[in-house]
Amino acid sequence: MSFTIATTVDEALVALDAGARPIAGGTDLVVGARHGKAALPADLVAIDRIDELGGVELDSAGVRVGALMSHAELMTDPVIVGSYTAIADASALVGSPSTRHVGTLGGNVMNGSPAMDTGAPLTVLRAAAELRSVTGSRTVSLDELWAGPGRTTANPGELLVALHLPPAWDRCGSAYVRLEYRRAMEIAVVGAAAAVTLAADGTVASVAVALAAVAPTILSVDGVNEALVGRTAAAAGPVAAALASEQAAPISDLRASDRYRRHCIGVMAKRAVDAAARRADGESIAVPVNRSLGIGAA
Amino acid sequence: MAIAEVPRFVRADGPDKVTGSGRYAADINLTGQLVAKFRYAGVSHARITKLDTSAASAMPGVFAVLTAADVPDVIYSPVVPDRRLFAKDVVRFEGELVAAVAAVDAATAQAAVDAIVVEYEDLPIVDDLEAAMADGSPLVHQDWESYAVTGDTVQRPNVASFSSIEKGDVDAAMASADHVVTSRYVADGCHALPIEPRAVVAQWEGEKVTIWTSTQVPFGARAGVCETLQMPASKVRVIVPHLGGGFGGKCGFHFEAHVAALAKAARRAVKLVFSRQEEMVAPDRRREGMIVDITSGVKADGTLVARSGWIAIDNGAYTADAAFFPQLAAMHVAGPYAMEAVKIEASLVYTNHQPSGSVRAPTAPQACWALESHTDELAAMVGMDPVEFRRANIVDEGVEGAAGQIYGEIGLRRCLDAAVDASAYSDDLPDDEAVGVAISWWPSFPGPSGAYIKIDSDGSGMIITGAQECGTGSVMTLRMLAAKELGMEPEDFQLVYQDTSAAPYDTGATGSQTLLNNGRAVVEGAREVAAQLRDLAADRLEAAPDDIELASGKAHVSGSPDKAVSIVELAGVAAEGEMLIGKGSGTPPEYPSVSAMCVGDQGLAGWAGPQFACHAVHVRLDRETGVVRVLDVSAAHDSGTIINPVAAHGQVEGGIMMGVGQALTEGTQYGDDAKQRNTGLLEYKLQTAADAPTIHTEFIEIPDPNAGPYGAKGLAEAPNVPTAAAIANGVAKLVGMSVRQLPMTAERVWMTSEGMSS
Ligand SMILES: Cc1cc2nc3c(=O)[nH]c(=O)nc-3n(C[C@H](O)[C@H](O)[C@H](O)COP(=O)(O)OP(=O)(O)OC[C@H]3O[C@@H](n4cnc5c(N)ncnc54)[C@H](O)[C@@H]3O)c2cc1C
Repeated sequence: MSFTIATTVDEALVALDAGARPIAGGTDLVVGARHGKAALPADLVAIDRIDELGGVELDSAGVRVGALMSHAELMTDPVIVGSYTAIADASALVGSPSTRHVGTLGGNVMNGSPAMDTGAPLTVLRAAAELRSVTGSRTVSLDELWAGPGRTTANPGELLVALHLPPAWDRCGSAYVRLEYRRAMEIAVVGAAAAVTLAADGTVASVAVALAAVAPTILSVDGVNEALVGRTAAAAGPVAAALASEQAAPISDLRASDRYRRHCIGVMAKRAVDAAARRADGESIAVPVNRSLGIGAA
Repeated sequence: MAIAEVPRFVRADGPDKVTGSGRYAADINLTGQLVAKFRYAGVSHARITKLDTSAASAMPGVFAVLTAADVPDVIYSPVVPDRRLFAKDVVRFEGELVAAVAAVDAATAQAAVDAIVVEYEDLPIVDDLEAAMADGSPLVHQDWESYAVTGDTVQRPNVASFSSIEKGDVDAAMASADHVVTSRYVADGCHALPIEPRAVVAQWEGEKVTIWTSTQVPFGARAGVCETLQMPASKVRVIVPHLGGGFGGKCGFHFEAHVAALAKAARRAVKLVFSRQEEMVAPDRRREGMIVDITSGVKADGTLVARSGWIAIDNGAYTADAAFFPQLAAMHVAGPYAMEAVKIEASLVYTNHQPSGSVRAPTAPQACWALESHTDELAAMVGMDPVEFRRANIVDEGVEGAAGQIYGEIGLRRCLDAAVDASAYSDDLPDDEAVGVAISWWPSFPGPSGAYIKIDSDGSGMIITGAQECGTGSVMTLRMLAAKELGMEPEDFQLVYQDTSAAPYDTGATGSQTLLNNGRAVVEGAREVAAQLRDLAADRLEAAPDDIELASGKAHVSGSPDKAVSIVELAGVAAEGEMLIGKGSGTPPEYPSVSAMCVGDQGLAGWAGPQFACHAVHVRLDRETGVVRVLDVSAAHDSGTIINPVAAHGQVEGGIMMGVGQALTEGTQYGDDAKQRNTGLLEYKLQTAADAPTIHTEFIEIPDPNAGPYGAKGLAEAPNVPTAAAIANGVAKLVGMSVRQLPMTAERVWMTSEGMSS
């Protein structure tokens, strides 16, 4: 049993190589262990004091978001709120103020829950994950990263150091909405993110939609770009809703039946497309969209 | 009409609770203390074919392993005695105790619990209320006829207690109606869910045991220990450190005897601390699921003439304190309405679920939800505005209620007016918003209760009371009453409470009764001390005792504030001779008589100090998803005189939040195995602070002569009663019909609006 407090990425990688598991905020790892989901790993390396893992930086390839960015930081970060708003929408809905201050983006992504809130936004914003180990680093798409509920394709020795987002372009907007039964401490019953770029005439120039909590991993809606391009935003929503409901593979559990989830994922997809298009059109809709537009328990 | 000039004061327990220096039961640690863990049935209905504790007992570090064979074979519970400390032969719900272990630490205790061998033969599961009542249903209790029920309790196969309220000829009256409306409403069970899971610590000294426990009823807990372990009350002391909430879930006697028995067998102090899951599965206190069928007859002009009702209440596997539930539910389905004839039958039905028991206003929120939803349907049937329909049919001064009680001056009509006026009921609202209105009532519960009051030589006061503080502030408010009688400040009094060996009897934090009953005792005790002070002052000031007034910490001659002596000085004098000591118990208010015929009478058809309320709730519906949000609640309450306005507002706000939860998100989900599926706070959805609506509260203060001090009635339960009903009526306006299941989850609302049944 060991607990290492790393202050540099290299220290952390050495500990990982020796078999330790990383712990960032611990809001999944520790809470899960307490609930008997999985025992706390015998060897842990705390990564929460590694400065290199923080921050949001603009670079030539777009934006680098450190894995250690907390939800509280993400929901107010000017770059994220300004150009990658769906992530801020998602982070602002996570748990409670204390969860948001402790929980991190990296933890959310690596925990791999199909109900993770930042997953659908990162997917529509075409984020890539930078993984590093003692032997080197590689960058993978999120599709490649998530393997199933609670599973990733990262090797045990790999640390997620950052997520990379492509540069924002003109007249593009994004949004994440989720169905929730109450206003705090909620878990997505279903959630949908959309990123929309508008053409000069106001019609959809490109669009991506991804869904949370309706499949074993975050689900990118197929064919949505082809189906929506050229439509007005108003006409696009219902088409996105139909595609989302059709492609979702929801389960029935204590939170909702599959039938209700299938219906609601369509509603969420429509609302996400609508909000993303309005943001693309320059409208300022405060984060999170759920509260601003009176969605769910708003 | 606050009785004190300055209604705000620092609660005696406030600083400790806020700073964390206060001690709760789980904070008690004794030398050599062992850890208790329970072996639960884990199955809902089965015969025990093998129970072998030898491996567990043999484990190093295990000091005691107990089963039914190791404790007196006592079958207990008030009114309907039907259970034992440990299962004997048959287990009837998943959380039933089969064995208990005391060991050096939690891991050893758990290992020992796991090492106990129990084998079962399955018995048929009874979990459907109607099927359970049908002829030929498997029985939850095979030998129910042998149970020594008390009072007028009526039993039937799988029915622990049956009650009816009957007045007039309901068939004839129904035939005279222009419209007859029938509705069925089904409520899921839910939980009290105090934030503090319970803890019990027991320690023996010779033949005496001291038990520190998180109970709402120290004397009730003591009585349970005495009954089940066959001990005299003089050998059992129950102490409650600070209590982290109860909401009824900690009423009654629970695990004090198990821990005491373990401590005796182990010859060491033993401590039990529940996990959240245990807190949700094991205690015999949950809010009861219910089916309500109501039929009402109305005249075309909106006059209510007759009502019949059929109610089935989920008792769960054992009866706890629930024998009175049928009659109380029947009263709530009758409601505070006048009508010619009524016939309501209610059954408390055994199932293989966790036992039900008093949770804040037992039976009332569900029954009120059914009745008030039905009432809006009646109004619609005759084309009347729902508020007007209520104005035309409610009880009032001099009017006879459904059970035949004739009321004195009551505030129901004023509550209705005040809540509706303060709401957006008459406003033009967006088409996804509406205001729903519901009225309700709730009894006050008179009972015996005692307190001592003393003033020490330094002039500081002390109230020694049997009352239990469960967070409502009612014990804290006792200081206001003593202060008023003695011309002192609330902060001048300390409290000694929650210790059965220190103070006289009180029923505990149950039935909103603390201020009603113990408040009278404290006033009476304080008046004794006041008389003693007047005598002393009269001597010193050369005046007649009757001319002495106590105010601002002084005794002065009436009309001459300067002819005065301080209470501190008088206390010093008294300390040298006849000390300042008072006691109070006093005669409880009387129960009024009623004219209805009641089968299975539990004494709850006529109410002393009846409380009335109206909530008008502004809701918003997300039509596409069925998610309902409560925006604003206007509440008006007649709970008689309000003594401590700050605490009273807190009770209304808390009751409303609990009602919002019951209305929208809180409900137990069962599997086919009759086990609860959502036994954690992730899947059992409480409301959070972020969900809280704006709440406006108005008190209609009508002092009730047949109630508590200064005409105060109870208050802690009443605010929980009409909230779900009012929300339902708002939602029904938006959906176009009632959502007939509670909680009205988003999915159920959506299904109702889509015309689907669930
Ligand atoms: C009360 C509560 C409410 C919550 N509400 C929400 C919610 O609304 N929405 C939501 O999506 N989630 C929610 N969560 C889950 C959790 O808070 C989030 O997933 C959070 O982002 C996890 O971050 P963390 O830093 O705490 O992760 P940790 O618990 O520290 O780690 C989670 C997992 O990721 C691994 N890991 C962490 N960082 C890295 C890294 N840099 N590289 C490789 N592996 C890593 C860990 O080893 C572990 O397996 C909630 C949790 C709680 C306790």
